[in-house]
Amino acid sequence: MFATVGKDLVWRFRLGPILFAFNPATLGTVLGIILILLGLAFWLRRGIPADPEAPPSRRLIFLVTVLDFVENQVLGGMGEKMRRSLLPLIATLFLYILACNLSSILPIPRMVAPTQDLNVTLGLAILVYLLTHVYGIRAKGFFRHLRGYLEPIPVMLPMNIVGDVGRTLSHGFRLFGNILGGAIMVAVAIPVLVDLLVRFLGPIVAIPAAALMGTAASFILNAFFGLFAGTIQALVFTLLAAAYIQVAAE
Amino acid sequence: MGAELVQGLKYLAAGICMGIGAIGPALGEGFIGGKAMESMARQPEMANTLLRNMIIADAIAETTGIYSLLVAIMILFVV
Repeated sequence: MFATVGKDLVWRFRLGPILFAFNPATLGTVLGIILILLGLAFWLRRGIPADPEAPPSRRLIFLVTVLDFVENQVLGGMGEKMRRSLLPLIATLFLYILACNLSSILPIPRMVAPTQDLNVTLGLAILVYLLTHVYGIRAKGFFRHLRGYLEPIPVMLPMNIVGDVGRTLSHGFRLFGNILGGAIMVAVAIPVLVDLLVRFLGPIVAIPAAALMGTAASFILNAFFGLFAGTIQALVFTLLAAAYIQVAAE
Repeated sequence: MGAELVQGLKYLAAGICMGIGAIGPALGEGFIGGKAMESMARQPEMANTLLRNMIIADAIAETTGIYSLLVAIMILFVV
């Protein structure tokens, strides 16, 4: 039942003392999503009319709508300058995580959402953590940024460092846990439902009923855990990333 | 006998871990959602800001539930 949720399909190889392990399903899905998003980006870019006075094309309106959504919903509470500098990063992060989460509903065997892999989500969380330092140093200068760790009193230095580590870990674990939990619910609920029907109704009535209920349950569970929870979690990850960067840069 | 007992206790432990761990986030998210609804009813023009802050607060309240999910998964598959 859990064959595709966890640890099958891992390539391992050793380079000196370090053991590398890859999950080719995750890697392939990530590369596919990157190619699709890049293709989408170039296709949308070519749809923007060269003449600014020309009437807007459909692709331009799509682009403006998406970026407007990100700018208003995720970066709504920020100043104009901060918003301008964060918009490309945050929009990219949002679209990438959204595509990763939504890929879990595609009925391709062995394909799992890349965000079910802790390496992907923790990598994104560490990326955001490093970017908080980049934005903080850029906004305040190196020494003023480091002095932020001594606020409000210098004794709080260990607390602030532990807080940074815990924040980054929980940022990665939150996305991972939500998507993995949804995947486990989808994987468990349908066999359990079919099993219950077979047990209570007997095999003759149960097989058509189980086929019907299994299909319906698969639609509903995938819609909730794949579409709804996936979108919300992508939004939450980017909202928290924007909030962390904003805190560091002010 | 011994291995089966350990296996059974693992399932029990994972169930208890997830069940108790889900209480806190459920209560927290319920409070957050209820208060957000009250505030939106009082000031509908603030609804967008409130929704954004509500989602952030929900995500943070959920963290302990996610930790208990991870512990339950570790009990089941890793230990």
